[in-house]
Amino acid sequence: MSENSNRIRSTGTLQTIDGKKYRGYLEADEEGATFYSRKTAQPLADWRYNRMHRVDNIRRGGTSTQMTVILKDDNRYIIELDHGLKLHTYIMDHWADKPVIPRTRGEELHRLAELRGEKIQVPKKHLITRRHPNRSIAGDIGIYLLLALVGVMMIFPLVFLVGSSLKPLDELFRFPPPVWPQHPTMDNFSDLFVTMGQSWVPFSRYLVNTVFITLVGTFGHLVIASMAAFVLAKYDFPGGKAFFAVVTTCLMFSGYVTGIPNYLIMSNLGMIDTYWALILPAFAAPIGLFLMKQFMEGLPTALIEAATIDGAGMFRIFWSIVMPNVKPAWLTMIIFSVQSLWNTSAATVIYSEAKKTLVYALQQIQAGGIARTGQVAAANVIIVAVPILIFVFSQSRILETMASSGIKD
Amino acid sequence: MQQTQSFASRWATMRREKMIHGLAQAKRNKVCYLFLAPYAILFFTFFILPIATSIIYSFTYYNILEPPRFIGLQNYINLILQDEVFLTAIKNTFVIAVITGPVGYILSFLFAWFINELPKWLRAVAVVIFYAPSIAGAAFTVFSIIFRGDAYGWFNSILMEFGIIEAPRLWLTDPNYMMTILIIVILWMSMGTGFLSFVAGFQGIDRSMYESGYVDGVRNRWQELYHITLPSMKPMLLFGAVMSITSAFNVCDVPRALCGYPSTDYAARTVVTHLFDYGFSRFEMGYASAIATLLFLVMILCKKAISALLGRVGT
Repeated sequence: MSENSNRIRSTGTLQTIDGKKYRGYLEADEEGATFYSRKTAQPLADWRYNRMHRVDNIRRGGTSTQMTVILKDDNRYIIELDHGLKLHTYIMDHWADKPVIPRTRGEELHRLAELRGEKIQVPKKHLITRRHPNRSIAGDIGIYLLLALVGVMMIFPLVFLVGSSLKPLDELFRFPPPVWPQHPTMDNFSDLFVTMGQSWVPFSRYLVNTVFITLVGTFGHLVIASMAAFVLAKYDFPGGKAFFAVVTTCLMFSGYVTGIPNYLIMSNLGMIDTYWALILPAFAAPIGLFLMKQFMEGLPTALIEAATIDGAGMFRIFWSIVMPNVKPAWLTMIIFSVQSLWNTSAATVIYSEAKKTLVYALQQIQAGGIARTGQVAAANVIIVAVPILIFVFSQSRILETMASSGIKD
Repeated sequence: MQQTQSFASRWATMRREKMIHGLAQAKRNKVCYLFLAPYAILFFTFFILPIATSIIYSFTYYNILEPPRFIGLQNYINLILQDEVFLTAIKNTFVIAVITGPVGYILSFLFAWFINELPKWLRAVAVVIFYAPSIAGAAFTVFSIIFRGDAYGWFNSILMEFGIIEAPRLWLTDPNYMMTILIIVILWMSMGTGFLSFVAGFQGIDRSMYESGYVDGVRNRWQELYHITLPSMKPMLLFGAVMSITSAFNVCDVPRALCGYPSTDYAARTVVTHLFDYGFSRFEMGYASAIATLLFLVMILCKKAISALLGRVGT
């Protein structure tokens, strides 16, 4: 490599095919890339771009990037870089003979045969282009049909719910009942707020209560559980592993099963009939800690080591280095926390009508009988829409977190 | 004798050294405990303490008004030998857990796998559609309209339209149908957190593994699933199993909202609704705690069994 060329580098980890890991840095220029060991500054792996077969399996988390480099001699390296995105783009830009992505099964077979150094007698062109080998057309069609069918079954009750909430009274009691109204109306929604607005506790009051509980509970959970997840994931201290094992077991116990002793504990703490009875347990929800800890384990330890050497305190590291890097996990914690708080009925720990939640109100309207069907549906739509919308807008981030959700036994 | 003593003393020294080492490490990591403390305190108060008190109260008679009185195993004996409703509850919970647990789990996995075969934009849509029912919480109450007992119920009207039934059926109040409807509704909601974990797990698998599998003679998607996908997804599979156990054993809201509380002839009673009944309606806390304790035990055993089973997958 000539010294004056445009070199670009990043620190990171190299993992060889036999699973050994080395810390060091990757340097790339126009012709090739080299990975140097941190301790000895010796090159551990280097390749010219014309020896490169493929760059695969690129994953990004925070600022770090993981990619697998596959060489033509079938050597492969998994490289995890702290600031790898730039380097990855650089390699991709200067890598001249990128393989054309195979479009047919024939081409794929030829490419693989070429890798093994053989020649095969398969026509390169097939009629159907496909994404993967090992996939039959009949199977693909079957899967699409099945997914479409089951998808309709899954979505039908929700469509029916929205339809019911928009139905005027005469259509609610028509035979046969239509799934979607012919003359949609917002009457049911306005009834909720106007008619019930005159009742002793207006509907909006339930809404405000629920929003308050959800916001405070979720925010506290995010901060408290993240702090715990941070030390559990990144520091080795006595008791840490055991504590996490207990939390994992507690994933299984729902609020109902612990409901009775919880009631007794809360009445001893004087929290019955206050919002705290709902908010404080939500702070300690095991699922949030579990997911956050699993996700934080994927953060490069070098980030924290570097900051420690620079003299940053643990709280600084947590707040200004770790937290900004785990934003996808925030969203996941938020959605699980919102889902459970938003759907809480809280009938057992809260007695005053003015402090009750949306789901409780829904149950009350429902108890009003068949004449309230439209309003029940309207209230239900309001309750259902919030978690679903949050999920729709944060899906990709949430899936990124769930990728590290597994329990390693 | 000499030998054993030296072993014992060596063991004691080892213990002591280990403890000293542990203490030193704990001191060095003081700040770690500070970080953990807020969560740990809350977690202890609202999760560990309740479980512990549950176990203790399960050996007592306790009705909140009087102090708890120790009665040994009487609660458990009453539960199993005298409480017929509890036996119905166990039967129902067992049926629900056996059907919706494994079926829901397998369906979650299969659909996550199928969805993974879709192009990216379609995948995003499909994930929302399949995941929406479980995240939507109270949305299942719409089934009380769909399965309503009169002719305005959607299901009744469809069946009558096609001439399958003559008169409307009481889907939610007739003990003959209740369990079937419950199982359908619970299955509808079973694509939950585990499903999401599977979808993410499929996307995280190293694609070059499929390629080398192809070179090694994997010839169709089922072989690919068994030899490559399943082994690399073991952690997600265990997580999904834990989530399935949780939802299968903790069925409570659905029967209460759809079939009434209490339901006709207790036909839709589950262990958790039974617990709820004794805990919050009759205030027999000791008895309710015994139910809870049994439930804890069964769930923990289930998880142990499943992790042992999963240990063999794909080998």
